[in-house]
This record gives sequence, structure tokens and C-alpha cells, in this order.
Amino acid sequence: MKRREFLTTLRRYVATTVSVPLISVVPSYRRTVVASLLIPMDDAQGDHLKAYGVTYRVVQAGIKAEWLLNYRGGSFLLPDGPAIRRDAALAGVSVEPVEEAHVTAIRGEIEASNMDAVPLEKAPKVAVYVPPNAPPWDDAVTMALQYAGIQFDKVWDFEVIGGKLVGYDWLHLHHEDFTGQYSKFYLIYAGAPWLAEMVRFNTDAAKRLGFVTVPDLKKAVARKIRDYVTNGGFLFAMCTATETLDLALAAERVDIAAAFADGTPMDPQADAKLDWSKALAFTSAQVEPNPQIASFSDIDGHQVNAGPRRQPLGAFKLFNFSAKIDPVPTLLVQNHRQVIPDFYGLTTSFLRSRLKPSDVVLADEEGAPWVKYINGNHGKGTWTFFGGHDPEDQQHQIGDPPTDLSLHPHSPGYRLILNNVLFPAAKKRELKT
Amino acid sequence: MSARLKPRLGTLLVVATTVLLCARALPAQAIGQGFELERAGQYDQAAAIYLATLRAEPTNLSALLGLERVLPPINRLGELLPAAQRAAAASPSNVALRGVLLRTYVTLNEPDSGRAVALRWAAAAPGDEAPYREWAMALEDAHRHGQARDVLLLGRRALGRPSAFGIELAELSQLSGDWEGAAREWAAALTDAPVQLPNAASALAEAPDAQRERIARLLTGGTPSTLTRRLAGELLLNWGQPLRAWAVFEPSVATPSADAAFAARRFADLAGARSTPDARRARALALARYADLAPEVGGAAARARADAARAFIEAGDRVAARAVLERVAQDSNAPPDAQRLAQRAVVEALIEGGQRNEAAQQLATNARLSPDDRASLRLQLVRARIAAGELDRADTELARDSSVEALALQGWIALYRGRLREAQRLFLAAGPYAGDQRDAVDRTTMVALLQRVPDDSFPELGSALSLLARGDSLRAVAALRLAAARLATGESGGGGRPDLLLLAGRVAARLDTLQQGTALALFDEVVSTGGQGAAAPAAELEWARLLERRAQTAEAIRHLEHLILTYPGSAVVPEARRELERAKGAIPRS
Repeated sequence: MKRREFLTTLRRYVATTVSVPLISVVPSYRRTVVASLLIPMDDAQGDHLKAYGVTYRVVQAGIKAEWLLNYRGGSFLLPDGPAIRRDAALAGVSVEPVEEAHVTAIRGEIEASNMDAVPLEKAPKVAVYVPPNAPPWDDAVTMALQYAGIQFDKVWDFEVIGGKLVGYDWLHLHHEDFTGQYSKFYLIYAGAPWLAEMVRFNTDAAKRLGFVTVPDLKKAVARKIRDYVTNGGFLFAMCTATETLDLALAAERVDIAAAFADGTPMDPQADAKLDWSKALAFTSAQVEPNPQIASFSDIDGHQVNAGPRRQPLGAFKLFNFSAKIDPVPTLLVQNHRQVIPDFYGLTTSFLRSRLKPSDVVLADEEGAPWVKYINGNHGKGTWTFFGGHDPEDQQHQIGDPPTDLSLHPHSPGYRLILNNVLFPAAKKRELKT
Repeated sequence: MSARLKPRLGTLLVVATTVLLCARALPAQAIGQGFELERAGQYDQAAAIYLATLRAEPTNLSALLGLERVLPPINRLGELLPAAQRAAAASPSNVALRGVLLRTYVTLNEPDSGRAVALRWAAAAPGDEAPYREWAMALEDAHRHGQARDVLLLGRRALGRPSAFGIELAELSQLSGDWEGAAREWAAALTDAPVQLPNAASALAEAPDAQRERIARLLTGGTPSTLTRRLAGELLLNWGQPLRAWAVFEPSVATPSADAAFAARRFADLAGARSTPDARRARALALARYADLAPEVGGAAARARADAARAFIEAGDRVAARAVLERVAQDSNAPPDAQRLAQRAVVEALIEGGQRNEAAQQLATNARLSPDDRASLRLQLVRARIAAGELDRADTELARDSSVEALALQGWIALYRGRLREAQRLFLAAGPYAGDQRDAVDRTTMVALLQRVPDDSFPELGSALSLLARGDSLRAVAALRLAAARLATGESGGGGRPDLLLLAGRVAARLDTLQQGTALALFDEVVSTGGQGAAAPAAELEWARLLERRAQTAEAIRHLEHLILTYPGSAVVPEARRELERAKGAIPRS
């Protein structure tokens, strides 16, 4: 973009959308000794989560930023300017003015080490798949985006089936159950008003969209989401959305839903009939046949609601990748902590034995048969699955109040989520894998 | 069969099988194309695919449903009818196909045909609610709520079940704004489905204010059933009339039973979610009733009475509290923990009721009080005496007490007497260990204030703070302003003045609109004159909070941003950031 075009765009942007007057982010044309602002992402950072928001807003304003992979916890380098400083100060984000000579020294260090500098060019358009009702549990990604101040749209079945995903760069799924069994809470929470509302919403949506049952609808939604990835979309899923999305894809022609969901019992031969070639991440899993156990399959290692099968929480460790050779996984694991306390979700982790050989493991629990954080490619797109429900609420229960992220501004678990949000902003040619 | 023919037959079999498989696969592929075209918004082409599929397979439900989706937007719904008719004729027992045909007639506004289909379906499935429900839903989708209601009533008569479709009828009534009708239907539905009581209460609770009294009268008129009474009780409770709620509800738990005990407990819990005195009283009454209904074994009844007494005290009804407590105290079977709770609650009731001398007497004479309770109640009594301005008596009560709790309380006594340095010394001696965290924070806050005031003795400030402690906020604001003025003009040269004004502003901000105006002026003064001291950013934070409470969010945000950017090193900046996030809606309200 030429400078004149850029300034025009920026003025329009400032006039219409942003509360932060970023017009003054553009550095003075007269050279100054302070050329850039470094947002350190190591322990010097005052608010790690909001740092992503500051960077996102800069990129959103059409200004180039850089992600310094493995440099001080995955820092960001932005052009200096009073508006960026102001935005950072209001957000409590620590910035360090760096002179050109210092920037040069940083680049030298990056060149000589397992580090890389990835340009961030385009703020991704973000969609979050959220049911229209308010389920009695929080959504870590929605909260992270709101806290960081990153704009997003909400989409649900109508938008997905209606082909609206093509307008987005990044899609997030959270606690959704794509097997259409209402997270298998149907029997456990029978009579709860929120469940009744959830059933009503989903049944109505299925009817309106021409599907006989909710599981049929959710399978179709899952296929649309897979198509979105195939066509180049970035998918990030957490908790049950990871496991059930793949189950719904593999079960395209198999009934894996309990009778309460579709009026017919699950196919007793379902395991043998699942077609894992249609799934993104998992293979050879066995479906949980008991409708009263809120577990979907043996993909999840922790089985939080499966009584004696439940496993205790440990800690997971982020892998170290070669920044220059594998920038994608490197980017996804940027953090100021390498070992992070684990947290439960209806799907907490993924058994190693259920992963496809092409999956890239980003984090695992050493010595355990499960992994926590995985990534892979499908068609032209990328998916990333992160087990667990809320990184700062290890035992999140239904009805618990949402996590207040202002009390967890350094959350390493939430950082992983926000890495994924900025991932599509990274310049494509730099992403070698 | 000749040997020559065998290989050919084998080939033919393979070919035939392949053709059959292809024939089965083709409609599925075609449907897939139809879906894709539909998703791309090419409804004409999608309709052509679906129609072609139906010509090959008239009962293909997916194609039929596809047509049902794509034809209305292109104004060709009429073409669905022959396809739906053919499908229903080909498979008359298929309820899904019947449903499509019925919906088509309803959507095309052909009521007679729709009726005929529905009645044929009903005749074929006597006793089944589905035909009427499907018919009514189609009418509801077409916004013909009145007709949908008629259909459900017809179904109710036909099925001979007076409570059939009660919930659907209630929802329809609600949709049409007929809240009384909805209440009537919910009440009827509860007869067959008592478990729906929470749903009924939840749905009707949304009734607009103007309708609520009518609903209440409808549900409570005549001789309501037990469940109707409970529904009315829960609704009135929800609508902020707890005592009337209890009056309506109470007869439904008059007869002892496990069900009545459960209902009384639920009512008490629901009332417990509200904090008004009336709600507390309603909770107390429900708990007392629950205690009468609950099994004596295990001490549930005694504990419920102790809880009821506490709720009565919170409601300000000490007489009732004592009556309940006496029952516990006289109950030789009450478990020790309930007994202990009761004895303690009696003294608490006296203290909170302002009968401090009687409480002191109890503390001196009641041998059934445990030593721990006696000690903590004595401190509670001292606090009550301090709050009432009985500083000498409070001092006397603490005479033989050398605990950190006593040091802290002696600090407050010294403070209210205006002996600032002595108070500061006692607070520091008490440290963070006396009382709970809030007490410790209060003391620390006061020490911080006292450190900025240079005077060792300052009776005007002691009096002002004493007024504040006694809840006389209005006079406290005036007294604090006077004290601040004295500091500004006195020998001390103004040290601590902004802090006193800030405190006055904080107090005024919690009062009425007029005093809030005073608070805004005080905050403005502190920010303007406070320089880089700690009071200025703290005042600006309070200023923003007050503006936020007054719904002046934009102005509040301006002040918060100014605070953060002007005083980056202030200790209140993290709080300001949090307020800023809250004002911008980025922090969930929990």
C-alpha cells in the first residue's frame, strides 16, 4: 500500500470504527532516534493478554507489525507513535521504546538464534460460533477476545449452513456438541431451564433448516466447517468442539446419537462404521455408548464425567520448534511459560493413540498417554485443537460465573488462544509449514 | 443352465448390481448438488434438482424438505403441493411426509385441505398428539396464533385429555400477550406434570408489570390447588412481594409430607436470593415451617430453626427470632451445634436490636455460651457500643482484653476521641491480624489517612469520623469538610486536606442526588488542587465511578483515561483500568 493510500485508509478507519485515535501511530516522517516500540512478552509484560489486542488494533489500522518469535516470550515490534503508546498505557500493556540501533541488535540476535521475525499484515476477520441462547458456561475464546479488545462476529448454525463462513479468516468453536446430543447433559440435567431452552433452540433450528433431527443438523454444520478449512480457513477449537466435530465428520452416515437426541438409539456397530478419513485430527476412536455418561468417545484422555475413568489433572508442556523452519507451530506456542497447569473440560485432552500421523503435537503432558494441544493442515487451511474448557478455571462447573480475565492478565493458557487469533495475521509466505 | 451361459450370467449380475448401486447413489449425489446450489443462493437450480430427485423417488424426504426451503423465497411454493401429495400418497403411514403435506397446505393458506390431512392423520393415529401439534406448529409458524390455539383445543377435546397441550397453549397465550390465559394453562398443566412448576414460574415471571396483579388474582382466586398456590407463591416472590407470596404459599405446605417439606425448603431458598427485610422474613417463615415438617432425626429441624432465627433477625423481627430460638434452646434433642447456634443467636439478636446492656448481662451470666462464642460476642458488643457512641462503656468492656482484636477496637475508640497518634499506634500494633480482611483494610486506610494529618490530637476529625461510623453520613460530610478547612488554614499548613475532602466526597457519593453533586464538586477540587499526591488519582477514580453510576459512561471513561495517563505510577491505576474495562463492557458482570 502506498503511503498516501495508507493515510487515507487510516483516516477513514479512525473516523468510523476505532475508539482509539490511531492516526497518530504513524511515526513522524522526520527520523527520530526512537523508531519502534517493543511489546515484551516475557515477565516484563504488564498485561500479556491485552498486548495481543494492542497489536491486533495496530494491524487492523493497516500498520505493519512484527511478531518476534521466541524473542523475549514472543514479543511484538510496532512502529512508535503517541496513539499506540496511549492505547498501550490505557490497556496496561508494557512497551519499551527501542532505537534503531537496538532494533538492529535485536534482529541480529534473532538471526543468530532459534528465533524469527514474522510480519503481521492483515487483521483477521474473526467469527465465533456461539449458540443464540446463553448457556450456563463461559467461553474462553469469547472472553479472551473481549478482554483483549479484538472485534469478532458471532455465527451459529444458520450462518454456517447459509455459507457465511467464507467471509471470515478465523473461526472459533468452543463447547459445542456436534454430535447433537446437547453435551450429553440431556439426562443428567433433565428439567433444567437452560437445557430446555437449548433443546428448543436446536430443535427449532433443525426444523427451520430442513433437517429431521438435531444430530443431522450438527453433522451438516460440521461438514460446512470442514469445507471452510478445506478452502483455506483457520479453525481453532476447544473443549468438546474438538472431539465432537471429528466424531460428527466420521459419523456422516452412522447414527452415533442417543435416542434422546434423534429418537433412535445409537447404531450398535457404530465404531466399525465410522469413516475417519473424513475427520480432521483423530482416528480409530470408540464412541461412548452410554447416554447417561457425559463423554463422547475415548479420544479424551481425562474423561472428566466418566466416573472411575476420570484422570487427575497434571501440567502440560509446550514443545520447542525451530522458528525458522517451522514458524507455524513456533508461533502457536509463543509463551512466557513452558509448563502450564492443566484444566478440565468435557474434552480435556487427546489420547496419542487416537491422533492421525499427520497431526503436529504442540503440547503434551510428559509421560501421559494424552496430549493437550495439536495442529494440522486440511486442504488449504489449518486447524488447531486445544483441550479443556477454561485455562484459568481448572474445574469449571455449570453455572459458575465467567472468569474475570482482568484478574489473570498473564494467563499462559489464554495466551495460547490469542496466539491462534493472531496466527492468520502472519504474512503467508513466512509460514513454511 | 448351460456351462456357456454361466459366465455371461455372472457378468450380467455384476452389471445389474452396479446399475442398482448407481441408481441408489444418484439421488444422493443429486441431493448433494441441490444442497450446494441452495447454499450458493441458486434456489431455482436447487429446486430443479430436488424436483428431479422426487420424480425418480417421490418419497425422498430430503428433496421434499429442500423444496420446502427453496420454493418460498422464489415464490413457487405452489409447486411443492403436488410433490408433497404424491409423496404422502406413496407412503401414507410416513409421518414426516404427512407433516410436509400438512405444512404445505397451511403455508399455502388452504385451511380445509390442511384440516383434512391433519384429521386423517389423527384418525390413523388415535390418541397421538403429534397430528395436532404439527398442525398447530405450522399455523404458529404462519403467525396464525389464534388458529393454532383452536387446533390445540380441538386436539385436547378429541384426545379427551383436559390438560393435553397445556404447555403449548400457555406459550401461545404468552405470545399473544394473554398472560392470564398462559397462567391458566400452566396451572392446568401442572396437574399432570408437577415437575414443570419451575418452568411455569420461570415463564410467567416474565409477565409485564401491568399484568402481574391479574395473574396473581387469577391464580389465587377461589380455592386454588396446592400446585397453583406454589406457582403463585413463587411468582409473587419473584415479583418482589415476599410476604404476600408466603401468605399464598403457606397453605400448600400446611399438611406434613415430604413433598411439602421440599416445597417449603425451595421457597426458603428462593426467598434467600433476595435481600430485602420482607424477603428475609418470608425466608424465616418458610424455614420455620420447614423445621416443623423436616424429620427431627439428624438435627435438620433444629438447624433450620437456627437459620430461621438468623433470617428473622436480619428482617428486624427479633421477637420472632427469640421465639424460634427458644424452641431450639428448649429442645433437648437438638444437636449441640444447633444449640450453640441458638445461644449465640440470642445474644446477637440482643446486640443487633440495640439491647446492649441485656446482651452484656447475657454474656456475663449465660453459662451455656461457649468460651469462643463469648469472646467473639463481647467484641461484637464493643463494636456495637462504639457505633452507638458509647465509647467509655466500650473501653470498659475491653479493659482486660489484650488480644489484637481488642487493640484494633481500642484504636477506633482513640480515633473517635480525636487522639490521632494513639489511634495510629494501636492500629499498627493490631497489624493485619484482627478481624477479617475488610477490617484490616479499613485500619490500613485509616492509618494512611492519619499519616497525612500532622496533628496528634484533632477532636473535630474524631467527631466527624465518629458520625460516619454511626451512620450519620450527611453530618459526617459537613464535619469532614469543616475539618479539612481547619487543616487548610491551621498551623499544619494543609497536610491531609485533600485526603479529608476525598473521604467526604466518597461518603457524599453514596447519598442522594444532591449530595452526589457535592461529591462531584469535592472530587473536582481534590483533582484540581491535589497535585501529584495519592489523593488526586484516587479522587478521579471515585469521580469516574460516581459518573458511571449516574449513567454518564462517556464522561466516566474520559476521567479514567485521564487518570491512567496522568498518574501512571498511582496505586489506583490497576483499579482504574478495571473500571475502564467495565465501563467499556469488556469484563463480564457476574
